[in-house]
Amino acid sequence: MIRSTSPVAELGVRAATPPALMVGMFLFFAGHNRPGGGFAAGLIIGAVVALRWMVGLRTTVVPSQLMAAGIVIVAGVALAPVLFGSVVLDQAVWSTSLPVLGKVKAGSAAIFDIGVSAIVVGLVIAVIDGLSPATTSAPEGQSS
Amino acid sequence: MSGSLIFAIAGLSAVGIYMITGRSLSRIVLGFALLGHASVLALLASGGPAGDPPLADRTTATEVANPVPQALALTAIVISFGLTLFLLALARRQQELTGDDLVEDDVEDRRIASQETP
Amino acid sequence: MVLRLAAIPPLVSTVVALGVLLGSSGDAPSLDVSWVPGLDLEFVFQIDSLAALMTLLVSGIGVLVFVYANGYFGPTAAGTGRFATTLLAFSTAMLGLVWADSVWTLFVFWEATSITSFLLVGHKSVDAAARLAARRALLITAGGGLALLAGLLILADRAGTTRLDDMGPVGGTAGGVAAALVLVAAATKSAQFPFHVWLPGAMAAPTPVSAYLHSATMVKAGVLLVALLGPALGETDVWKPVGIGFGLLSAFWGAIGALRHTDAKLILAWGTVSQLGLMIVLLSAGSGKAVFAAVSLILAHAVFKAALFMVVGEIDVRAGTRDISALSGLGSRMPLAAMVAVVSGASMAGVPPLLGFTAKEAAIEAALKMDGLEALVVGFAVIGGSVLTVAYTVRLLLGLFGPSDQPATDIADRRPAMAFPSALLAVGSVLGYVFLGTVNSLVRPAAVQVQPEAEVYYLLRWPGITTAFLISVAIVVAGSTVGWLVFRRPLGVPSPVGAGVVDRGTDGVLSVARFVTGRVQHGSLPVYMAVMAMTVIVAALPFAFDVEPSAIYLWDSPMQGVLAVVVVGAAVLTSGMASSRLGAALGLGSVGVAVSGLFVVHGAPDLALTQLLVETVIVVGFVLGLGHLTRRFPSAKAGWRLLRLVVSVCVGGAVALALASSASNPSGVPPLEDLTVAAVDEGGGNNLVNVILTDVRALDTLGEVVVLAVAALGILALTESGRSRKEEVA
Repeated sequence: MIRSTSPVAELGVRAATPPALMVGMFLFFAGHNRPGGGFAAGLIIGAVVALRWMVGLRTTVVPSQLMAAGIVIVAGVALAPVLFGSVVLDQAVWSTSLPVLGKVKAGSAAIFDIGVSAIVVGLVIAVIDGLSPATTSAPEGQSS
Repeated sequence: MSGSLIFAIAGLSAVGIYMITGRSLSRIVLGFALLGHASVLALLASGGPAGDPPLADRTTATEVANPVPQALALTAIVISFGLTLFLLALARRQQELTGDDLVEDDVEDRRIASQETP
Repeated sequence: MVLRLAAIPPLVSTVVALGVLLGSSGDAPSLDVSWVPGLDLEFVFQIDSLAALMTLLVSGIGVLVFVYANGYFGPTAAGTGRFATTLLAFSTAMLGLVWADSVWTLFVFWEATSITSFLLVGHKSVDAAARLAARRALLITAGGGLALLAGLLILADRAGTTRLDDMGPVGGTAGGVAAALVLVAAATKSAQFPFHVWLPGAMAAPTPVSAYLHSATMVKAGVLLVALLGPALGETDVWKPVGIGFGLLSAFWGAIGALRHTDAKLILAWGTVSQLGLMIVLLSAGSGKAVFAAVSLILAHAVFKAALFMVVGEIDVRAGTRDISALSGLGSRMPLAAMVAVVSGASMAGVPPLLGFTAKEAAIEAALKMDGLEALVVGFAVIGGSVLTVAYTVRLLLGLFGPSDQPATDIADRRPAMAFPSALLAVGSVLGYVFLGTVNSLVRPAAVQVQPEAEVYYLLRWPGITTAFLISVAIVVAGSTVGWLVFRRPLGVPSPVGAGVVDRGTDGVLSVARFVTGRVQHGSLPVYMAVMAMTVIVAALPFAFDVEPSAIYLWDSPMQGVLAVVVVGAAVLTSGMASSRLGAALGLGSVGVAVSGLFVVHGAPDLALTQLLVETVIVVGFVLGLGHLTRRFPSAKAGWRLLRLVVSVCVGGAVALALASSASNPSGVPPLEDLTVAAVDEGGGNNLVNVILTDVRALDTLGEVVVLAVAALGILALTESGRSRKEEVA
């Protein structure tokens, strides 16, 4: 019903995937200086996955594993400073230059953001996957 | 404070309350989302007038919007996002189990209410 | 087996206490354990002389009670494991209370004894009477616990310290209030009139519990409290009259109760109320001699009362009843028990050559040493209470072992484990008299700790023909006569009035609770929501007086006005189209987009971006999730719809009022420049909002992420369970 099997749509989505992921990456790195951040990036990537789902391109990622990884990363970054004798959630900042993006200050906050993004992507996949009528129970006569 | 914002917040609250006092679970989820919007806007409005985006390298401090409520509001958006999705899943589960999304009365509570002895 | 094992810990602590008492030199052993360092909460223990004496009683009698329980329950009884555990827990709580040297420690263990004694009294949990008695005991003693907490809070505040041993005298109104509260707490715990009503009911407990809790330990906690806080609160105006009042009433009312009942265990329970009253009178009076006498009484009472409870329990188990009007001929059939009872009873009545005699003698001496009204009141309590004590003792002994017209009661075989502990305690009453010097060296330091003037006193083995001794003789003669008369011509068993009042009170509270619950929580979610909304409306009313119209302007920019109208319009549309999923999704989506627009206009691009992305996912979720609603809802009643409409419009008004009031009272200008500098220099970022989120509020952000993860787990669980159910069906 919602899912389109049109090859044109599928092609379009396939073509749109890389630029959308690029936007996600951009937002991820932009966060500290301009609007964006790990959460927004995660939502964009999640939206890409949702879009692909709609045209029949299923993902094989298991959301619970993705979220577990995210939580481990987030908790790890939060607790790591304690190992170095600092307080919980203290940050380390390194300054580097990357092509295209220019000079970025990468810090442990960026790793934290990776964890956030992983959790958000997992959440979005869980929602799309869990709520979609094709995969959950649809008693006869109701799924039109 | 901007009267327009107050109007938007009050309107969202009123419609949200109307929807969550109903019996349809999907309407309750919708109403909850509207109340979420209202509270985020209220946070923002309470922080002062509108201004330029709070980017340190683009604007001077005098005409910037207050960033603190924005940071708080961002958290609020994320939390209400998670909650709304969870409510959706609940509503969905209810549909699967009962075939509709009607909120039934709590049978146990009704039992206690009916045997009251003043 | 388990009961025998359980006797080991109290045995160890008895030995330790004896070591402290007899071999002590220098400082008392103490221990500090930090609990909540930020609040200065700590567990502080110190085994001083009084604590060591109480430890000896708690642990020594504890050992005997465990041995006794072994015989009482027999080898086949069920639930002895639970019994041993709870009794041991109680014993630990009691030791903690005795050792406590800070008011907080004292309170924690005070409550712990209330809870464990609740479990012990209700040990026979299938028995409704036992459950009722346990609940009553808990309600009264825990209520006293609240009074104690309040009293200790005031006391600690006034005294400027929480440590009991460096607490100076406290006076003034606050001191008086604290004194009254502490005395009420002591009265509930020590079963003083009118809080004594729980004690007779508590006799539903197994006899080992009564022998332990209602002779040596828990009921002594109130007396101990009066002793411990006497130095701090004794100088308030309230302490003496209230304490003596409680004690005097209890000494008489308890003794009268003991004269009227025919259940031997109840006689002992009422007798305990009376004896504890006497101790409280003496401690509240507070003179050196009185305190000394009170501490001696604590020791003597624990020894003879525990033995008497044990004998009554043995009779109960072997004869099948403990009603003195039904028992007959036990004197010859249970000679050992009779001997133990007579010795312990004589000690209770204050007959030489027994420990109880010297203690009572000291009490009479103390009363004689006072002057004026105090001498009159204390003397009245001591002498009157003693006469009645002799009377109910004589009646009890006659009833249990004396002559009777009825045929002799059949009794079961002897149980050595029950006979041995009581016999040992009876011997203790004699030995205490023989080795009075040792008893003196136990009692005097404990009394001195409460009242330094007690230093000069000692227990006399043979006072000679003094006034006190003559009074003592008169007491025994008068009491025996009264006891014999009452035995011949019973007074009739009273109906338990006080307990009934407490139970009616409890039932009343419960039925009010049921009524309120029925009204407030009647099961309809929409009504709950409406009630909450109405509460919001009422709560917002005060804001109406606080609005400054000049603080409100039309808009920040015309675009804001347009967007606000769009937001509200889209929200109303959403509500109208909610019955179709596409309509709902469309409505919600447009609200979200318009709100994002408001964010942009306000200067919050982060919010706008996030809101747009979030909205996308939510709309997709709606379209997928509520995909196939077919059923139409039964349309609500018109009246209810109108009410909902009114309530929601009022909520809108309330929210507007609150916002306007907040705008009318600005709380200052945001520190934008400081924030900007801090963000660039310390946070290393130009986007203030994100720097705040990741630096200043990093912990909140962590929490937010966890909330998301939990929500996602919930969604997974809900959808997975749906899936597995479908597979089962298939």
